[in-house]
Amino acid sequence: MHTTSSARFTRRLAMLGAVLTVTMAPISPLAAQWSTTYEQFYLQASHNWTFRTHYQHADRLFNAFDYGHAILYETLWRFPDAPASRLEVDRYNDLTQKVLIKPPRIPLEEGAIEPKYAQLAPEAKVMFDWAHLLHRQLYDVLADERLSWAQRDVEVARLIRYYRSRPDLAFSSKPKSMKLMQEQPFSLAFRKKYPKFNGLIWGYHWLQMGLYEPLMVGTSRTEKQALMRATVARFFQMLQDVPRSLPHQMPMTVPVAPKFAARYPEAAIIFDNLHSMHDVVSDILTNPSVPRDRKRAEIMLAARRYRDDTTEVMSVPAWRVMSEHMGIENMGGPAVGFLSTLPTPTVTYGAVMQHDAETGAMTGFGSGGATTADAHAGHQMPTGPSDSSQVATLVSGFHQALERGDSSAALALLSPDVAIVESGTVDSLADYRSHHLPADIAFARAIKAARQPRGVTVVGDVAYSVATSATKGTFGDRAVDTLGAELIVARRVDGQWRIAAIHWSSRRR
Amino acid sequence: MFATLSRVVPVLMLGHFAASSALAQTDYFNTDAGRPIRVEDAYAIERRAIEVQLAPLRLERERGGTYRWGVEPEIALGLLPRTQVEIGFPMVHTEGGRGVRTTALAGIEMSALYNLNAETRLPALALAADVVIPAGPLGPSTSIPTVKAIATKTFAWARFHVNGQMTFADDKATGGTTGIVPPANAEFSRWMAGIAVDKTLPLKAMLFTMEVVTSEPLQAGAAQRFDVAGGSRIQLSPRVAFDAGGGYRLKGDEQGWFLTTGAAVAIGFPWAPRR
Repeated sequence: MHTTSSARFTRRLAMLGAVLTVTMAPISPLAAQWSTTYEQFYLQASHNWTFRTHYQHADRLFNAFDYGHAILYETLWRFPDAPASRLEVDRYNDLTQKVLIKPPRIPLEEGAIEPKYAQLAPEAKVMFDWAHLLHRQLYDVLADERLSWAQRDVEVARLIRYYRSRPDLAFSSKPKSMKLMQEQPFSLAFRKKYPKFNGLIWGYHWLQMGLYEPLMVGTSRTEKQALMRATVARFFQMLQDVPRSLPHQMPMTVPVAPKFAARYPEAAIIFDNLHSMHDVVSDILTNPSVPRDRKRAEIMLAARRYRDDTTEVMSVPAWRVMSEHMGIENMGGPAVGFLSTLPTPTVTYGAVMQHDAETGAMTGFGSGGATTADAHAGHQMPTGPSDSSQVATLVSGFHQALERGDSSAALALLSPDVAIVESGTVDSLADYRSHHLPADIAFARAIKAARQPRGVTVVGDVAYSVATSATKGTFGDRAVDTLGAELIVARRVDGQWRIAAIHWSSRRR
Repeated sequence: MFATLSRVVPVLMLGHFAASSALAQTDYFNTDAGRPIRVEDAYAIERRAIEVQLAPLRLERERGGTYRWGVEPEIALGLLPRTQVEIGFPMVHTEGGRGVRTTALAGIEMSALYNLNAETRLPALALAADVVIPAGPLGPSTSIPTVKAIATKTFAWARFHVNGQMTFADDKATGGTTGIVPPANAEFSRWMAGIAVDKTLPLKAMLFTMEVVTSEPLQAGAAQRFDVAGGSRIQLSPRVAFDAGGGYRLKGDEQGWFLTTGAAVAIGFPWAPRR
């Protein structure tokens, strides 16, 4: 070995170290900055990524939600003095008009979106990542039609064990009082300064919990997909008249996804704690009363409180009562079986309800208040047949009939006086049967369109469904690469929804 | 030469894309030495992850016209927290100026990387150790161990990595008193230092990176090398990342260029952890 070279190298390495230390580490309490948190791979299983495969649009929305959370924290941390419009207008519009409309196709690396926040609190970031992995793995289990319910129960228990095998990251599966979220010195800052963005985050959390319910309620993949489309459409409906249409309270799993919460309460509690801590971090980052050099410590403290099984713990029955008393109508409504219009909140936006620690029963308001005389009692939503999900099922049934080549089934879903508007013509039922239907079937069988539901709106006995699609492939000897739009009007006659009008348009890409 | 490549490269590329349908996961953001640049970040793969580098291809051309291409299948295991161990089997094909062709194993490479900390205000730091064991006709003449220190620092606009590596080459590796380094050891260096910067497009799950690396060859008296390289990593699916890049030797005895491309697939350990 050449000693001279080695010595030279050692000197250079030492110099490099010195330069690194000086340039990369501003003076700070080093011990408090030394983090040894680390990531862990998800549990390998045959159901991995099943949800992504069969519920592509909903899966992609979660990627968009991850982006929304990450960009929120990064913005709050890096631009503490920015005007509220930076989040309320610029970021909000970017998310709702671009990212949610064309969500990323694969899970994102949040460290690349929130690099400075990730440096502030890497432990909290990895905690969130770990819980989000559990979310995705549970969707996979429930979406896997090869599993019986008994097998799903076993898999869910196995996943929760795996999740809890990292006590340094796992949220407690004991319910936590809302005091942790709403009655700390820093609490409520985010919802007050950024009500629209806060409502959007609550909308995200509504859908993240809400999508369990179609998977629990649906009896076949087709039905689950139809219900899923309706639930996703409901989420987008929440964005149509903000902030009124956004949730006014943090969505809780018990009312939003009652079947899921009943069957898998441990997971439901973990996710309520997760969503609660999301709000806590937002408050800490927003509230100027927490100095910047204290924010990491406060986040670390909150993280410990949400991980332990002792701080502000409620009983499971009390958690259920508290969740119900917060009011499903204040959380965006149920995820399935909802009426066509969004529920009317019974409390002012972001009102803080107080609950009895033993029973969970609501005892009054800490801030904000009721919008009606008896608003905080009887918070059950009226349930009834879900018109929008029936219409979504009707529309998807029509497309599936075309794809199967089942003309009888397709025609049976059309009203006798249907009007089909396409390519500059208006077909009656007879015209369509004899002219365009065979061609539509041939086309649908040749190329499967990727449809993106935009929503179902029900007005009494009439409803309309709007969707866009992308179609790429070969039809005959013709290459096809088009974007399409579809408006379907449905009408209810004698309790049955039938398609009354269709309008299709498309253009080449 | 290119006739040979034209047969081989498509096969390797096909291997890359066939891998995208396999069950696994990987992360474009966690850079790995050689994929596509030499400077890497200070993070190990996730605990309980198995990452397989499927036929990463590297093509080099020296100024004298000698081509050398290789594939280095590797497997990395996230055995312990913040720790990965890796084993690789580099296969190299060389073509000399007079049509002499050799394809053979070029040693077995074993390495371990230990991440000391996650990045906060402090940069993320890691230590790595690597040994190339003599195996195959193109392998080194003796075991060549190296140690490496790694730092990663992220700014809002880009991420920087600094790597410093030292090789513990003995007389058998360097040729001892003869001063003639065995040809198979020529690519190794006494030390290496490099800095890389990368910029991510997070919504597209894509990263662009470039590096400047300097190293001192084992050959006594050989000119210090300066290399520049750049490339991109992109996540093709939740399970598969693809990379491609190229570089140029600005200064040194064997100036030339290289191109590299590869795909990595990751899966989890097939068993659950002990409780």
